[in-house]
Amino acid sequence: MSTAVSPPAPTSAPPDETSGGRPSKLGQLPSAILRALLTNRIILLLVLIIVVLVTMFTLSARNYLSAPYDVSYLSGTLISAVPLVMLGLAELLVITSGRGGIDLSVGAIVSFGSMIFGFAYGQWGWPLWAAILLAAAAGALCGAINGFLIAYIGYPALITTLATYYAFSSIAIVINNQQPISTRPIQDFFSAARSVTVVGGSSPLQVPLGTLTFLLPTAVVVWLALNRTTYGRRLYAIGTNDVAAEWTGIDVRRTRFLAYVASGLISGLVAVVTVAQFASARPDAGVAGNGMALPAITIAVLGGVAITGGIGRVAGVVLATLLIVWLNAGILLAFTGNAGSQFQLFALGIVLVFAALLNGLTQRRYGGTG
Amino acid sequence: MSSQTLASPGGSPPGAPPATAAARGRVLPFPITGQEIVLIAVIAVLWVVLAFTTPAFFTSGSVVPLLVAMAPVATIGIGMTVIIITGGIDVSVASIVMVCAVIVAKAMVDSGVSLPVAVLLSVALGAVLGLINGVLIAYGRVHAIIITFGTANLFKFLGLQIFGGSTVNGIPDTLDVFGRGDAGRTLGVPHSFLLMLVLAALAWYYLRHTPRGRHLYAIGNDADAARLAGVKVQRRILSAYVVTGALTGLAACFVIAQGTATLAPNVGAGMELAAIAAVVIGGTSIMGGRGSVLGTVLGALLVQTVTSGVTQLGWRSQLASLFIGIFILVAVGVDLLRQRTRRTA
Repeated sequence: MSTAVSPPAPTSAPPDETSGGRPSKLGQLPSAILRALLTNRIILLLVLIIVVLVTMFTLSARNYLSAPYDVSYLSGTLISAVPLVMLGLAELLVITSGRGGIDLSVGAIVSFGSMIFGFAYGQWGWPLWAAILLAAAAGALCGAINGFLIAYIGYPALITTLATYYAFSSIAIVINNQQPISTRPIQDFFSAARSVTVVGGSSPLQVPLGTLTFLLPTAVVVWLALNRTTYGRRLYAIGTNDVAAEWTGIDVRRTRFLAYVASGLISGLVAVVTVAQFASARPDAGVAGNGMALPAITIAVLGGVAITGGIGRVAGVVLATLLIVWLNAGILLAFTGNAGSQFQLFALGIVLVFAALLNGLTQRRYGGTG
Repeated sequence: MSSQTLASPGGSPPGAPPATAAARGRVLPFPITGQEIVLIAVIAVLWVVLAFTTPAFFTSGSVVPLLVAMAPVATIGIGMTVIIITGGIDVSVASIVMVCAVIVAKAMVDSGVSLPVAVLLSVALGAVLGLINGVLIAYGRVHAIIITFGTANLFKFLGLQIFGGSTVNGIPDTLDVFGRGDAGRTLGVPHSFLLMLVLAALAWYYLRHTPRGRHLYAIGNDADAARLAGVKVQRRILSAYVVTGALTGLAACFVIAQGTATLAPNVGAGMELAAIAAVVIGGTSIMGGRGSVLGTVLGALLVQTVTSGVTQLGWRSQLASLFIGIFILVAVGVDLLRQRTRRTA
């Protein structure tokens, strides 16, 4: 399979072996493109996003859609990308930490964090920054419980977070008698979900404030942590092979523990975003309907995070979210009424199964994805 | 399943010899393992406590509904146990329940199908959906959790399309044999519970005493080794998902029978997590290769006891999930501890 070991290419070398050089450079281009498309998730996602955008713009131009699918609509829909990207990054951290790492409890932590934020900001009259800090701290504490059980005691992650999913969502509902908190300050906090103008001039571009205050900082911090710190290198190392990592002197337990704490902390921040979006701190914010955990895991997997650990990139998660959000936005305009939200389920399922099968295929053909 | 796993169950001191002379000759583990004894003890304690604190608990008006209510989750749990033993998981069962329930309900309302037809339709439908899961997982060689996340969305889409944006009303009482009422019991024992027990017993025997059943454990322990030993790994995995789909179809009949004459699109919601919870409380290892159906039935019984106990004590019903969460952690913790003492013994 690998091209590195092939000696100076014999005449019978298959055309997709790039090291041969016997066929002309131009002749190799199609197979090289195919290879990049199949093995590089980022490129695949970019191509898919372009396909979705071109299709939708064309449909929009021919008036097949119930509303124009244009740039301002696209940036408006980014508000639903905020929780998705952030929770997707949370899943990226825990899944990358290896040993079957996964966090089913993120939705329950969002519910719990929403209530904590609602109490602090809506009822106790705390200043905003302190309330946000408290919600993040509450989330981090929930994450620490997960992390302690998984990293230090050795519980399987799937079970631990299933159990804490039940526990946290129950606490979130019981803590205020099933009642949401929507006092005056919380209602006014809706302004945090408004759109702001980022590009002035003749065609001002409105972008939801949440993307600037929450999404971008989280993505940048996670990217820096993964790619520019020793912690990131350690996380990839323990995800790839934690026994080898242990022997190189990495504190495997601590590294894995911190991944779950970070996941909880991000979920706590998502809680704040959710409260702003609904103008109400709801006890079922993160577990209503399908919950938030399953979409977040889906986004992470679609973004190329290997469920076995050790592989995953921030750009993949962000692009996967953009693909899903913009595809969903188009579907919503293409179908009337309830059908739109149902076809979103269909699209999500198809894209996920397709991406997963593709992963399996490329692993066999090219030996892993980049 | 080496003789190491035969270590005397429960609270044996760590220094005790790992296996007695009689046990050393055995190939199979004891019919009842430590986890199951712990579960039986916990359930017994809960029932005694509930009997003393709420006088109504031990009347048949309370225990029978409990047994009826646990039947659907336990039925799905039987299949889920088999899947988890092979090292997989199926998070699409809730969507399968939804698809089967809505199609069967519509068939009963629109064309008044008879009981056997309704059950067969549901089981066959579930098996087909399970087949889709199984083919993708066994031959696509993708991790089960990813595929079933995807098919969960697809099946849910299918179900919602059939619902068509409204509820199914006026469901006839064809399926009342499995219901809560008098039609659903013989000598006070609910039929759905009995049927579940029979299926559990069959699965228990199959997993323990047939070569193909043992192959499932082998796959969960090491799929490559199992393949080299001549196990048809892909076919066995495929069959696990088909069987689970069929059982889920049967569970959908129970769900219709237990509900009212109206079926809403939220039918089945949360059942995948409930079934997985029952399986892991029952001591089946999520890593595969170890577990039993008996434990799953006990796990489902424990979950249902907690749920109805919380209601009968007059506590808020949402507290039940907190206790279920704690029970999962305790059950898995006890299991981890037992494995650790076994390893050091």
